[in-house]
Amino acid sequence: MKHKLLLLSLLCFAIVAFRSVEDSLFVVPSNFPKPVYNFSKNSLTANKIQLGRALFYDPILSRDNLISCASCHSQFSAFTHIDHALSHGIDDKIGFRNSPALMNLAWQTSFMRDGAINHLDMLALAPMSNPDEMDENITHVVFKLQANNVYPKLFFEAFGDSVITGEHTLKAIAQFMLTLVSSNSKYDSVMRKQSVFTSQEKNGYVLFKKNCASCHTEPLFTNDNFRNNGLAIDTTLKDFGRYRATKNPSDSLKFKVPTLRNIEFSYPYMHDGRFKKLSQVINHYTNGIEKNRTLAPELQKAIELTSNEKVDIIAFLLTLSDKSFLFNPKYFYPKEIFSKTVKD
Amino acid sequence: MKGKIAVFLLFFMNVYGKTFSQTNSIQFSIIPTFGAATLHLSDSAFYANDTTHLQLTAVKCYISNIQFLKNGKLVLEEKNSYHLVDASEINSLKISINNQQNISFDQLKFNLGIDSATNVAGAMGGNLDPTKGMYWAWQSGYINFKLEGTSALCKTRNNEFQFHLGGYQQPNDCLQTLCFPINNSSKINLRLDVQQILQQIDLTKTNHIMSPSAEAVLVSKIVANAFTIYKN
Ligand code: HEC
Ligand code: HEC
Repeated sequence: MKHKLLLLSLLCFAIVAFRSVEDSLFVVPSNFPKPVYNFSKNSLTANKIQLGRALFYDPILSRDNLISCASCHSQFSAFTHIDHALSHGIDDKIGFRNSPALMNLAWQTSFMRDGAINHLDMLALAPMSNPDEMDENITHVVFKLQANNVYPKLFFEAFGDSVITGEHTLKAIAQFMLTLVSSNSKYDSVMRKQSVFTSQEKNGYVLFKKNCASCHTEPLFTNDNFRNNGLAIDTTLKDFGRYRATKNPSDSLKFKVPTLRNIEFSYPYMHDGRFKKLSQVINHYTNGIEKNRTLAPELQKAIELTSNEKVDIIAFLLTLSDKSFLFNPKYFYPKEIFSKTVKD
Repeated sequence: MKGKIAVFLLFFMNVYGKTFSQTNSIQFSIIPTFGAATLHLSDSAFYANDTTHLQLTAVKCYISNIQFLKNGKLVLEEKNSYHLVDASEINSLKISINNQQNISFDQLKFNLGIDSATNVAGAMGGNLDPTKGMYWAWQSGYINFKLEGTSALCKTRNNEFQFHLGGYQQPNDCLQTLCFPINNSSKINLRLDVQQILQQIDLTKTNHIMSPSAEAVLVSKIVANAFTIYKN
């Protein structure tokens, strides 16, 4: 009887210990809501995340084996294509849109600036097969991975099967992207009562809540919705945003409201990267709004800000920078895996 | 010892019983045709020998959620199964449905395509794996039905036509639910007549559908009507 009890408690301990390891792979920040992503269909493990990280950094996903996801999404710029208004892909082709910063994707219901992708798992298919980005296709990628000398082993360690499938490839990449959580900015520590705003930041926060938060809603700084924020259309790109995905005229010129976390590092701004500086963005909201049919109601009346107030809002926006995210070694290029490829 | 023999006997009967009962299944065959001719795309394209030099290179579709009804009531169903029917893969044209209890029925019901819940559920394996070529990359969603070929009527590059029908969101939901009265038999032959589809499409105008649209819904309905049950 005693033995049984011991065994039982050991078992319980093992389960609890295992669970806590699993939980630590993805921690919901205390000031964040419940994630949208359904983890029960793709439960995180260290091996799957590591595999996804390798795939994210590996140009094997492109036709010419030169472009990786990280080519357009680099960590130090919060996983956007730094300094490129429109992202560059294969053969130096210029893409159609500015690559967005990647973070807190587990809280997003749709992806891309027009919401054309309905699930994080399916995302990688889009850049992989875009002729201006990686110009590959998943069937051939799986073929290349299977023929590679490290991947069958990594897939086996991750999924218990060395036969590589599209499903496993996509799920692994999604797992790595799910771990890109940014929640340790100064703003967060103020919310957790671990630090305080300067009076300038505080004033900026008040102005932000009044003028911006209906779309850039805390704590994710996006309401996960599509809005027309009054940008005049770029006549060469003719990008009608959400309309491209829904063909619904009332969606014309609406774009996904992007997060403003790490905004200091993710320039240039907007779907076409038209603004290089935050001051230009603020001036757009005060003086540049184009009144067209689908303009968001809250922007119909001009936002009025003095030049001091503009500076205050920017000071607040800078409190959204999260160095522990931008320089987190968990997200670095996985040298340890790729050095093996070379040696073998 | 006696006990062991009994256990062995039980085991044997069980195994035997199982293999025996496997004959209690419904053989559901899909037969793609062009008019009266059976379509075989495994080795080469199909040439229709007509004035438009019609040639078919791909005919593929998903058949899912197969159900059998009796007097309008569901009596047998195949849960969570998604069959990828491909005219170039002979094996994909035969579906075996378990009917252990020999349930009788008078109606067959199935989906042509993939339901919306599955469309938004993330990456999946087997027939739903995106490597099967039936998933759109730039805009999430499964392709329910694919028909590709060439015809002199198409003033397109190489006279090609391509119909990739899909879309799970209103108003362009392309999923079709098909219903047929059938005899209570262990053999069902379902015919898909591609000629009937093409007769209802003006290839000079409509020859390229590659994303969800009202036109895709319209053609999906035409495709659904081209399925018939061979009476046996
Ligand atoms: C050539 C540059 C390029 C490459 C390579 C690239 N991306 Fe992107 N990525 C973009 C652009 C541009 C967008 C925005 C596209 C749009 O909105 O239509 C984007 C959007 C995204 C998004 C959506 C973010 C959001 O908030 O909606 C994610 C996630 C993403 N990419 C991940 C990846 C992954 C994973 C890979 C590798 C498989 C990859 N990207 C490869 C340029 C690139
Ligand atoms: C009506 C909704 C709405 C309001 C109000 C709003 N924004 Fe935006 N904001 C958007 C949308 C939509 C975009 C993306 C537009 C695009 O991609 O072209 C955006 C983009 C931005 C960007 C660029 C982000 C990036 O990564 O490219 C910044 C910075 C920004 N907004 C700041 C603000 C500030 C500051 C305010 C208040 C003064 C504000 N926004 C008010 C909807 C809004």
